[in-house]
Amino acid sequence: MNFKDKVRFIRQNIKKTRVRTFMTVLATAMGCSFLIVLASVGYGLQESIVQDALEQQIVTQIDVYGHEDENGNYRPLTLDDIELFDSTEGVKAITRRNQIRQVPTFALDEYKAEVMAVSADFPSEAESGMELSDGRMPENKNEVIVGYHFLNYLSVATEEDILDEETGKIKDEYLYQEEIIGKELEMVVTREVDNDVATETISLTVVGILEQPTKEWVSDANVYISEEIYREVEVFTGTPGGELGVNPDDVENKHMQNFEQVKIYATNLENVQPIVDMLDEENYATYSVVNEMKQINMLFTVAKAGLILVGTIAVIIASIGIYNTMTMAVTERAPDIGIMKAIGANPKTIKQIFVMESSYIGLLGAIIGTVVAYLISYLVNLGLPIIIESVFEEELPEGLLFSYIPVSLVVISVGICLLVTILSGMRPAKKATQIDVLQAMRREM
Amino acid sequence: MIEVQNLSHHFELGKKGNKTTIQVLKDISFHIKNGEIVTVVGKSGSGKSTLLNLISGFIHPTNGAIWVDEEKVTDFNEAKFADFRLKKMGFIFQSFQLIPSMTAYQNVELPLILNGESESSRKQKAMKVLEKVGLSQFGEHYPSELSGGQQQRVSIARALVLEPPLILADEPTGSLDSDTESELLQFIKQLNQELGITFLIITHDEEVASIGHRKITIHDGIVIEEAVNDNEL
Repeated sequence: MNFKDKVRFIRQNIKKTRVRTFMTVLATAMGCSFLIVLASVGYGLQESIVQDALEQQIVTQIDVYGHEDENGNYRPLTLDDIELFDSTEGVKAITRRNQIRQVPTFALDEYKAEVMAVSADFPSEAESGMELSDGRMPENKNEVIVGYHFLNYLSVATEEDILDEETGKIKDEYLYQEEIIGKELEMVVTREVDNDVATETISLTVVGILEQPTKEWVSDANVYISEEIYREVEVFTGTPGGELGVNPDDVENKHMQNFEQVKIYATNLENVQPIVDMLDEENYATYSVVNEMKQINMLFTVAKAGLILVGTIAVIIASIGIYNTMTMAVTERAPDIGIMKAIGANPKTIKQIFVMESSYIGLLGAIIGTVVAYLISYLVNLGLPIIIESVFEEELPEGLLFSYIPVSLVVISVGICLLVTILSGMRPAKKATQIDVLQAMRREM
Repeated sequence: MIEVQNLSHHFELGKKGNKTTIQVLKDISFHIKNGEIVTVVGKSGSGKSTLLNLISGFIHPTNGAIWVDEEKVTDFNEAKFADFRLKKMGFIFQSFQLIPSMTAYQNVELPLILNGESESSRKQKAMKVLEKVGLSQFGEHYPSELSGGQQQRVSIARALVLEPPLILADEPTGSLDSDTESELLQFIKQLNQELGITFLIITHDEEVASIGHRKITIHDGIVIEEAVNDNEL
């Protein structure tokens, strides 16, 4: 008996008991739908948290803090380390930054700002994907870019109270309001040796403004200078990083030999883990969002497994209906089964017909259940935030998903549904094969 | 075609500890040649239907062996016997045993479906055999819409559709009136002559018994007479 005929047979049989089959399919659909919706809460919250974490950090970024030797001592990173990172497979760019160890004054006409100056290797920064909101990347040593919030600090030098009492920020009327790109900025650095204070003014040109930081609470008012200017500051102060309060005569190395901030950028997300593994092996201290994701995902995997287990109970309850329906079908069709066996139907064929019939009910229930689950999920995501916001008067984070149904969840749920329904149809199917031909035919008489 | 050797069968009645054994067949042996019509006659409870059920494989003998078409069917398991029945045996029952929810055509088509035949081949074979039994106009009728004679013809068509070499009939005219009975017996005879099909017919009706080439008489589970029928119809 071929597959097509078995299906035709099943459909004919189901037609005869339409209402009963419909109720069984309905129960299965409800079970399947409950399973999917329940687990989708776990998937939804995971998706929201992961998405939030990913939005706040560049996923391909790996922060390297230093190197630990055999004795457990940390040392900062040097150019040798950067060369090693550069030779690693899957690395797209390595950025290195050092902050000047004093707060320089930046002046533009009568406006002044006291903000941090950070040296950067601009070609690497560009390669890593540094985005500007305006202007271009520096091309020579005197060109600089400023942080997105730099203009919030560039204000008129006056004795008046320039701060807004409420916000604590500089009032708008004191702030520099004109275009800053292309303007000359004078950086004033200080040297202090035995109470002898001297200053040096370095002329810089602003060529770009950085993109706003992804984290809303982060304020970036830094001025990003070239490594050559950083060296000039060190030459002037005679201390590494232009540090104040240190006597140049007491310092052995007058230049910084290492980098405070080193970030490695992988070519893609898949390469992050191998690079992190390599760095761990080489005893570098690292952090990447992938590490964080691992822990989040682990936690949610356990939660989702629990929810799926609870949902499966609903499917198992529904399967009792299938068992009942199939047992009744076998009892009702016993004379027909007897005739079929008498004329030569193989017991295996009879078993297959009944198992397929219960699978058919299961599959139909799973399909309807999946569609209903998607509908419920959509309504929950649409309606629940409105209800929560109006009842609890609390604003929910943007993009928060209460329920999310990925394809994998559908596959798992339909799989569970089919497995449970097939198992529940096995016993009635076996019973069908054990029907005694003579007894069954006698009953029909 | 059929070789029955020292066949015995008993039923056990009652519950454990209080069982009664009823010996239905006692050391029966006989032989049926290809193309023969053999009738088995005997009174009610003589064991003739049990004999047919044993040959059909619906029950297993307590002792003895049966060969059908040179295969020892008493050694078959249920699945193998089912396949063998499908290909080698056709059945005609007293109460027709048609599936009531299927049309005449679908009932005849059923063995072809079980045999895994294609739809076009099924259609052609089922129509041909329905025509042979004179029911080509009644294909779409359900059994309840047909007369007893017509239902028995459908059952014969179902038995013939896979062209088995052997047809086993259990009281085939038991539910028919005398006119229809004669008609059916003529038809069986015709099938035997035209197609060479072997028939084993169980009956208690002397008229039916008269169509066979040979007649085996069973009494209390023993073959008491095996006679060549000189006056066959």
